[in-house]
Amino acid sequence: MRRLLTVLGLSLFFVSTLARAEWTPDGPLHLQIGFGAGGSTDTLGRLIASEIEEQMGWEVIVENKPGGGGVAMFSGISQAPADGQTIGIGVNIPILMNLVLRGDKLPFNADSFDYLATVTVAPLAIVAKADAPYNDFRELVAWSKENDGALLGFDAKPQEMTIRAINANNEGQFKLVSYKSGAESVQGVLGGHVAAGYSGGAHIQYVNSGDLKVLAVATADRHGYSPDTMTLREQGFDYAVEPYFFLAAPRGLPDDTRDALVAALDAAIASDRVAEMVVNTMHAEPRNLGAEGTRSKLVEGVADIRTLIDAAEG
Amino acid sequence: MTDPGTLLLGISDAFTLTNLLFVLAGIVTGQVVGAIPGIGPVMAMAIAIPFTFVLNPLAAIAFLVGINKGGLVGGAIPAILINVPGTPDAAATALDGYPLARQGKPQKAMKMALYSSVTGDTFSDVVLITVSAPLAIVALKMGPVEIFALMVFAFSIIAGLIGSSLPKGIAAGALGLLCATVGLDPEHSTPRLIFGHFELYDGFPLVAVAIGMLAVSEILRRLAVISRQGLPVIHLPEEQPREDRRVGWREYWSCRYTLLRGGCIGTVLGAIPGVGSTAAAFISYAATRHASREPDQFGKGTLHGIAATESANSSVVGANLIPLLTLGIPGSVSAALLISAFMIQGIQPGPLLFEEQGRLIYGLFGAMIMANITNLAVGLIGLRLWTRVVRAPEASIFSAALLLCIVGVYLSTGTLFVVLVMFCFALLGIVMQAFGYSTVIFIIAFFLGQRFELSLSQTLVILDGNPAALVNHPVALLLLTFAFGVIAWYGVQGRRE
Repeated sequence: MRRLLTVLGLSLFFVSTLARAEWTPDGPLHLQIGFGAGGSTDTLGRLIASEIEEQMGWEVIVENKPGGGGVAMFSGISQAPADGQTIGIGVNIPILMNLVLRGDKLPFNADSFDYLATVTVAPLAIVAKADAPYNDFRELVAWSKENDGALLGFDAKPQEMTIRAINANNEGQFKLVSYKSGAESVQGVLGGHVAAGYSGGAHIQYVNSGDLKVLAVATADRHGYSPDTMTLREQGFDYAVEPYFFLAAPRGLPDDTRDALVAALDAAIASDRVAEMVVNTMHAEPRNLGAEGTRSKLVEGVADIRTLIDAAEG
Repeated sequence: MTDPGTLLLGISDAFTLTNLLFVLAGIVTGQVVGAIPGIGPVMAMAIAIPFTFVLNPLAAIAFLVGINKGGLVGGAIPAILINVPGTPDAAATALDGYPLARQGKPQKAMKMALYSSVTGDTFSDVVLITVSAPLAIVALKMGPVEIFALMVFAFSIIAGLIGSSLPKGIAAGALGLLCATVGLDPEHSTPRLIFGHFELYDGFPLVAVAIGMLAVSEILRRLAVISRQGLPVIHLPEEQPREDRRVGWREYWSCRYTLLRGGCIGTVLGAIPGVGSTAAAFISYAATRHASREPDQFGKGTLHGIAATESANSSVVGANLIPLLTLGIPGSVSAALLISAFMIQGIQPGPLLFEEQGRLIYGLFGAMIMANITNLAVGLIGLRLWTRVVRAPEASIFSAALLLCIVGVYLSTGTLFVVLVMFCFALLGIVMQAFGYSTVIFIIAFFLGQRFELSLSQTLVILDGNPAALVNHPVALLLLTFAFGVIAWYGVQGRRE
């Protein structure tokens, strides 16, 4: 009996792997990019597409669908047929912010997708000039109180929320200066226009050259280029922002389709070319959380952002 | 400071066969479109931008700079041959170029224009290459408050100088700023003026606005007024003494002060946002006539007239890149288009560009020098050829250009919505031009709008909403004073007229 079950199990396993290996897109696979041509998401998306073409032999068509930090593209994806022919790549933060702030106006929610993979997380950190009189974020908070306020550069909503929460709950006296990108925020820090600023990778070359120092890591885990810098959480500020690049498809993909897509993406993200691009231009490392991990990042992310906004409104 | 290794690497990047081919393609395109009255390098650049994102950044930028430089050479050809400038910059060249051509020396006139153009261009490139890296270090010290004041200053100059009236200039600029506020606001990410279109969260796409305003509206306007009467016949005399066909070294050398003056005027004006090459050409022409010992020769076909205008309008191109590369602020429409080409490549122009993209920038400088040499070579070979282009059939050229506009905009975003946006702005462009509002001011204001709003919000935080705190920012205070001075000056002048 046991032998029979084993045989049955084995054959089932083979049948299922065969079925999995057999799924290929019926026609070209459409990879939609939630941003315009140029920029990191576009470059990542195109690179992944060309890796999939090379490794799997599928035809992949890349389409830019810019608008609302990916909201326009994911709106389209959520309405597309769940046949595995259409997938999208975007960034989690703008999607989460929109779901929390304007969820009732969007045609989708966090459950509208089958999540496939993450590509990398941006190494978000708070940095200051190397010769600044504070060495970590706690000292900066104290400095801001002593000096009747400190200017802090940011470039995305959750960063603003975090600092407002710290103003409300930890007696920080920060004044927030809005920048268009992390690179411009770094420019503001280097030029001495703000006391400190958020950056999602642009700071690393200046940290290595000794022009900047990292006051706090703003993601959940410490960063490799500055292993001794504590995270905000470790310094007693219970906030973390994790900007992930992720891929998703319309909800309800057949199992074999989803598994094939997950496997193809995993191989593409693990490729040398993607790693090289992520390391060189985004100053991060590839990190694929897999289908389940991606899903929980997004679903839990909504709750985290909601907590953050409540904290910011103190 | 950039180390010599980066400098050499960058320059060696530029001198590859691929880049040479793209520069060559750019120059040829520029000279041809410059030579055709009605379409010009700006339109060609706008149309080409969506196609450049498949190229590597250096090839893309080098190609576009090539179009720009070639266009300034090409524009002089119809100005000289038929008294119709191919581009607005060449209007002043017709003053002496056309009379010289009427005297039976069209080739001499065209060659003088070509040599002057390349001389002025090279002069301003050398200035750009020497001053911009040190200037970028100074630019880093310019904080949001100073940038804000600088933009106000630039707007006041642009509104005062371009177009016929100051109020209309200000109105066009304000409309551009208004259109730039569409989308998520920079501070709190609240959607504004989007009327339920998620596509507009990031604002109107730059490429669609630029192509709609600069290319499509002009094409539609031209198509509407195409006349069946042919252009005047161009006759290149075959049998004539050699010295009437060419420009000798002695003739060139006798113009050296004129060329130097034109180069200086063009470079200085080019570095100030908004003045533009047309103004530079006329100012240089006036200054040269003023300084000349034979002022009555001007307008009758003197080589000095051609040298003055062509050296000045071409030297604006290089200098225009000074504020672009150091501050990220475009000085003209073609510089604004270059910004969007940089951004399509994922590169943000600004003071850190030299540090982060040093290799690319020095590559670009290398490509510019290469473009000048190519411009000279292509010009010498092509001058006779382009005389035919001047008489190209408008109907087919404009239809082809229109098709390219639609395809390009669709390719850049992949949605028909953006094509619709392009046509809306084409319509707006036609209406604005019909009522005498400058689309150039609109475009520059639109391109600077988001940055302007961002630095305004930054400034308000930094100054704590207190205008008196400007005292701590003397540079900003000075720039703002200049800005109001400029507006007051032009306002008073306008009333007098």
